[in-house]
Amino acid sequence: MKVALFSPMPPERSGIADYSALLLPALRERCDVVVVKRGAKKPPRGTRLCVYHVGNNPDAHGWIVEALRRTPGVVVLHDFVLHHLVAGLTIGRRDGHGYLDAMEREGGVVGRLLGHAVLDKRIPPLWENRPEDFHLAGEVLGLATGLIVHSRYVRDRTRAAGYGGPIWIVPHPAFPPPEVAPAEIAGEPLFGSFGNVNVSKRVPQLLEAFAGVRRGHPSTGLLLVGAMSPGFDLDRRLQRLGLHSGGLVREGFVDEQRLWELMRACDVHVNLRSPTMGETSGTAIRALALGKPLVVSDVGWFSELPGDVALKVPVDGDEVGALVAALTLLAERPDVRAAMGAAALDLTHRVHDLERVADLYVSAFEQAAGGGSVDDAVLTEVSEAAAAVGIAPGSVEESDLAGRLGEVGLGG
Amino acid sequence: MRIAVVRPQVPFARGGAEIFVDALVDELRVRGHEADCVTIPFKWYPGARVLTQAFLWRLLDLSEADGKRIEMVVATKFPSYLVRHPEKRVWLVHQFRQAYELDRTELGQFGESTEDRAVRRQVQGLDRVGLGEATRLFATSANVAGRLERSTGLAAEVMPHPAQELAYRNDGPGDFVLSVNRLDRAKRIDLLVEAAAAEPSLKVVIAGDGPDRPRLEQLARDRGLGGRVRFAGRVPADELAALYATCFATYYAPVDEDFGLSPYESFLSGKPVITATDAGGPLEIVRDGSTGRVVEPEAVAVASAAVWLREHPDEAAAFGQTGSAIAADVTWDRAIGRLLS
Repeated sequence: MKVALFSPMPPERSGIADYSALLLPALRERCDVVVVKRGAKKPPRGTRLCVYHVGNNPDAHGWIVEALRRTPGVVVLHDFVLHHLVAGLTIGRRDGHGYLDAMEREGGVVGRLLGHAVLDKRIPPLWENRPEDFHLAGEVLGLATGLIVHSRYVRDRTRAAGYGGPIWIVPHPAFPPPEVAPAEIAGEPLFGSFGNVNVSKRVPQLLEAFAGVRRGHPSTGLLLVGAMSPGFDLDRRLQRLGLHSGGLVREGFVDEQRLWELMRACDVHVNLRSPTMGETSGTAIRALALGKPLVVSDVGWFSELPGDVALKVPVDGDEVGALVAALTLLAERPDVRAAMGAAALDLTHRVHDLERVADLYVSAFEQAAGGGSVDDAVLTEVSEAAAAVGIAPGSVEESDLAGRLGEVGLGG
Repeated sequence: MRIAVVRPQVPFARGGAEIFVDALVDELRVRGHEADCVTIPFKWYPGARVLTQAFLWRLLDLSEADGKRIEMVVATKFPSYLVRHPEKRVWLVHQFRQAYELDRTELGQFGESTEDRAVRRQVQGLDRVGLGEATRLFATSANVAGRLERSTGLAAEVMPHPAQELAYRNDGPGDFVLSVNRLDRAKRIDLLVEAAAAEPSLKVVIAGDGPDRPRLEQLARDRGLGGRVRFAGRVPADELAALYATCFATYYAPVDEDFGLSPYESFLSGKPVITATDAGGPLEIVRDGSTGRVVEPEAVAVASAAVWLREHPDEAAAFGQTGSAIAADVTWDRAIGRLLS
């Protein structure tokens, strides 16, 4: 079966490009996967199934959505909230009407009015401050003949959004850690946070919590790795918190090799997020593969991590207080860190193993490609048998039959 | 307790799973339970028929019978475990193997069409539902449990089932190797026939029947083995016990078998077992140089293992005795205690 894969690929700098590059060889061992050239609008001849990787970055995924519009297929939904993507495909291309239509489709007249306010710059962009209220995933969901998602959270959100097609939950594959030596960075223990340095990664809360922890545990360190978002004044915050004189190590965007060296150097990985777009964190998956304990926000996919690998911090309560407690516990208890690290490795092998993930992908591909006709065959045989014994359409018995079919996932 | 033991029935076929379920029902009754076997014919081809036939089980109402509550259902093999019941125990003999490890082998069923691939995945989906609902999940061997965990993520407790009731005895080593098995391709009885062809001193008795019998008989004729390989067919219990009692070893080397009753029966007769390195379940009890011989799945290797056992009767007897202790440890009392607890 030939599968056409629409995805950003390296050297594009995108987490989804890395994801697809990691998965591709394992998929190719199992089926005939053709990577569609960036910008192509149609799948190659002989394709039985198109698979589209959709994330929130309009530069990386705009052409993929355009291809999806021409040929519906299975969507790998990396983010549930696609507001930023839709804004890029509309406002970013001077198509304000397109944005208004998308807002109206999801939010009715109120949505359209808010869209006007965004276009007129009367309110801040909704993709920054109200993404969860206006996910704008409707068009993509409407075109998807099936969905591959990484979490129950996204599955539930898409169902709540009215998506009725098949959904397969396929965990994020683990990146195999390369044999690199840990970077030499002070901190006993060393906490690390990787990714863009901004508000939605809860960096202000992390800095405040770390300052609190460091007062009682002056040997601890915090490593912040990633590009700084515009307008985020890190220096001022460090000064205010008394962290400017030490304890914090800063690195900007780093290449893959350096990333692993830095990740290996950390004793604890802090991966905070709010609001969530429904994404699974590739960085958190890397940390698990290294056998590192995690501290995460109790939202979205992060909430689904087992309690023995991650301490979860609520974002709506005393977030800083809970963070201080979590970091303090891990600073004081190397045994807890070790146990969580062992559990992280176990989880990686059981759930995020690359071969297992590839198997699940191919299972989804096969169901997506042939499932419709199989469903038809099952329904035809069952309904003919039902009719033959006098079970009428709309009867209680027919409803019972439909219920039983649904229970075991037969008949679509 | 009122217990329904459920299993599918391929009409006109009878093998280890059928013997096991009948014995389980009998043993439950002996222990004061009101037990019965509930069965539905099973046909797994063509196309999506395997799904609709499996679905029949979902339509059963085994909550009660004749106004009296059925307190427990014990399911054994695909697709019987799709039955609904609040107290559904599964003692798994095997899944629908064509959808798993036999896929894309000569023993597989599903082709490369998108429909066939999707049917296979639907079968796997049925397993996740039907087995996932079980209030307790047992597997007859570590091999079956391992396959289950790899394919569905479900963990089963390993619980072998006892061998059938026979008048087991050991009349000393005779001059033949015995195979007791259903005659189908996956049981790899042709390997034993070829072993007899490779070793002119080897005598073989093949008990059992099945769809592969004409091919095996033809193979024996082609190799000129008429006098040394005897097809005994399905034999009555007393004759089977006598065959076990008088062979010098038994042969049991299917491809990645689930469990395998024959090695237990062989051990209870004090006879060692010859098996293959890729036989699956039997390897849990047949250990090379301890309870039998484990060899590469090649005719010459099987032949030389058989000759070795024939020519080393003391060692063969010791292997049989060691095996006997293993088999004697698997009792209905223990198994039913766990099953119902």
